[in-house]
Amino acid sequence: MAETLLWVLPLVPTVTALAMLTTRKRRVLSALDVGGSAILTALTFVLAREVAAGGPRALGVFRVDDLGLVFLLLLVVLTLAVSIYTVGWLKQAVEVGNMEAKSLRSYFALVHAFVATMVVTVLADNLGVLWIAMEGTTITSAVLIGYHGHRHGLEAAWKYIIVTTIGISFGLFGTVLVYAAAADVMGGAGTMSWSAIMQVAPTLDPGIVRIGFIFVMIGYGTKAGLAPMHLWLPDAHSQAPTPVSALLSGVLIKCALLAIIRFQTIAAAACGPAFAEEVLLVFGLISVVVATPFILAQRDIKRLLGYHSVEHVGIVALGLGFGGAVGIYGALLHVVNHGITKALAFFAAGTAIARYGSRDMRAIRGLLAVAPIGATMLMLAALSLAGVPPFSIFVSELMVLRAGIGRGYWVAIAIFLVMVVIIFAGLLHHAGAMVFGEPRGASHKAEDWSPLAGMVLLAAFMILLGLTIPVSFDGILRRATEIVVG
Amino acid sequence: MSAETVQAIIDDLGALLLFTMILIVAASQISRAIYAVAAQSFLIAIAGGVLATATGNVDLWVIAGVTLVVKATLLPWVLHWVVRRMNVRREVEPVIPVTATLALAVAVVVMSFHLSASLGTVRQSITGNALPVGIALTLTGVLVMATRKTALTQMVGLFASENGIFFTAMAVTQGMPLIIEIGVILDVILAALVMTIMVLRVRSTVDADIADLDRLRG
Repeated sequence: MAETLLWVLPLVPTVTALAMLTTRKRRVLSALDVGGSAILTALTFVLAREVAAGGPRALGVFRVDDLGLVFLLLLVVLTLAVSIYTVGWLKQAVEVGNMEAKSLRSYFALVHAFVATMVVTVLADNLGVLWIAMEGTTITSAVLIGYHGHRHGLEAAWKYIIVTTIGISFGLFGTVLVYAAAADVMGGAGTMSWSAIMQVAPTLDPGIVRIGFIFVMIGYGTKAGLAPMHLWLPDAHSQAPTPVSALLSGVLIKCALLAIIRFQTIAAAACGPAFAEEVLLVFGLISVVVATPFILAQRDIKRLLGYHSVEHVGIVALGLGFGGAVGIYGALLHVVNHGITKALAFFAAGTAIARYGSRDMRAIRGLLAVAPIGATMLMLAALSLAGVPPFSIFVSELMVLRAGIGRGYWVAIAIFLVMVVIIFAGLLHHAGAMVFGEPRGASHKAEDWSPLAGMVLLAAFMILLGLTIPVSFDGILRRATEIVVG
Repeated sequence: MSAETVQAIIDDLGALLLFTMILIVAASQISRAIYAVAAQSFLIAIAGGVLATATGNVDLWVIAGVTLVVKATLLPWVLHWVVRRMNVRREVEPVIPVTATLALAVAVVVMSFHLSASLGTVRQSITGNALPVGIALTLTGVLVMATRKTALTQMVGLFASENGIFFTAMAVTQGMPLIIEIGVILDVILAALVMTIMVLRVRSTVDADIADLDRLRG
C-alpha cells in the first residue's frame, strides 16, 4: 500500500496538470486545481500514517522516511491552501487584466507540474533523481515567475533561471564527487542511492566528501536562498504571481534545504559532524546579517517578504549548524512554521496589493478599516514572522537559540539575537503602518470567501503549532531528528 | 587499451578541453564562443567513446552518442539560429575586461589542480586528471556566466559548465548510471529551450535584450 503510494503521489499532480490542458473554463480549472490538491493531501496523510506504523518505505528510486515526510506534509498542506486561495485571487486578477483568461490553463498546468517536481525532490532516494527533479523545479517555476510577461517579471525570471542553474551545476558536481567516493568504497558500479550511501558513509574518503559537501552547499544553498547566493530570491518572490510566491517561499526553498540535510548526514558520517555544522553556521549567519538592512529599508511588500525568507532560511541553517537533537528538531520545526506563516503572509499581502493596486507599503494604509479579516491575517502573519509568542515561529526560534547556547556558540547567538530584534522592530513597524490608520485609495469591495478560506486554513495551522505540537507530528519530527543526528 | 594509454588519452583530451575553455573566455564574438563550446562537447563525446572502449561499459557509448547529437550539434545549432533570428549585433559585452576574466580563468585552473592534488585515495577511482579538469571547466563556465551580460553568452557558459561535470562523471570508475545521465541531459535541453523562449519573448514583448534588463535592485 505505502509502496504504491510512493509512485502514485508524484502522478497525482502530473495527471491533474494534463487534465487541465483539456479545458479553458476558469471554473472547471479551479475545481480541478482544488480537487487535485485535495487528493494529493489526503493520500499524503494516508502515507504518513503508514510510515508512522511501519517505518520508512522504498520503491525503486523513491523512498519515504520521517525526514522526507516533514517536508512532504508541508508541501501538500501549502499546495491545498494555494489552490483554495487561487480561486478568488484569479477571479480578481482576470478582472483587472493581470492574467489573461485565454492562457489560464497553461498557468494551472505549470503550477501542478511545479508541484509534481517538488514531490519528486522530496521522495527521491537517488541523489541523481533528486538533482534532476530540482532542476525541473527551476524550469517550471521560471516560466511561472515571468508569467505576467511584463519587463520586471521577465527580468526576475531570467535572473532566477541563470543564477539557480549555475548554483544547481555546483550541486550536480558535488553529487558526482560523493558518488565517486561511494564508488571507490563499493568497488565496481557504485550507487547513487542515499540510503545505500549512508550505510557505507563512515568509510568514505573524508577529503572528497568535504569538497563535495561544499559544492552541494553552494549549489542547493543557491536554490534555498542562503546568502550570498540569494540574489535571485527577492526579485523572483516579488515578481511572481502571488500563489507562486507562496509556493516558492513556503516549499521550494525548503526542498533545497532537505537536499542539503541529506548531504549533511553523509558528510557528518564521513568526516565528523563538526565540518558540516561549521559550513552551515557560516552560511546561516551571513544570511541573517545580509537580510536585515534590506528588510528595514524595503518599500515593496513582496520584496520585504522575500528578504525575510533569506533571514529565516538562515535561521534554519543556524539550527542545523548548532546541531544536536534540539537544534535539528528546532530547524525542522522552523521549516514547517516558516513555510506556513510565510505563505499566509504572501496571501495576505496579495489581497492587500489587489485592493490598493500597489505593492508600495507607503500606499497601503488603513487595511483594517476596509478589509478587517484580511488585515487581521496580515497582522497575525507579521506578528508570527517577527517571532512574537505564542505563535509558532517563536517556539522554533527559541529551540534554535537553546541549541546554540547548549553548544556555547556565544558570538553566533549574539549576532543572531541582535538581528532578530532589529527585524522584529522593522517588521512590526511596516505591518502596523499598513494595517492601522486612514485608508486612502483603497477599494471598499467586500472580502471574497476564497482567498480568506485559504488564509484561515493556514492561520489555523500556524496558531495550532504555536500552542501545541500534535503528538503524531511530534513523533515524525523526533524520528526525523534521529535520522539527521544519527 | 591499457590503463596507462586511457589515462594518457583522457589527460590529452583534458588539455584540449581547457584550451577550448580559454577560447570561450577570450571570444570577442558570440558565434566564435558557440563554435568553441560545440568543439568542447565534441571532445567530451570522444572522451566518452574512449572510456567506453576501455571499460566495456555500453552505457558510456550511449552517453557519448547523446552528447554528440545534443550538445555538440543540436544546442549550438539552436544558439546560431537565435543569433540569426534576433539579428544580434551586440556581442559578448563583458562586465569586466576579457583579459581580467582570462587571468581569473588561469587562477581557477591552477586552483583546481592544487585542490585535487590534495586528495589522496579517491583520485584512483577517477581516471587521469579528469577531476581537476572537470572542476576547472565547471568553475570557468560559471565565471563566463557571471561576467557576461548578453543572454547567449551566459547560455554558452552554462553548457561549458555542464561539460565539466559530464567529463568528471564519465571518468568515475564506471560512469554514472545511464538513466541519471539521460535525465541530466534532458534537463539541460529543457533549460536551454526555456531560456531561448525567454530571450525571444523579451525581444518581442518589451523590445529589449536580456542585457538591458537591470531595473530590479535593492
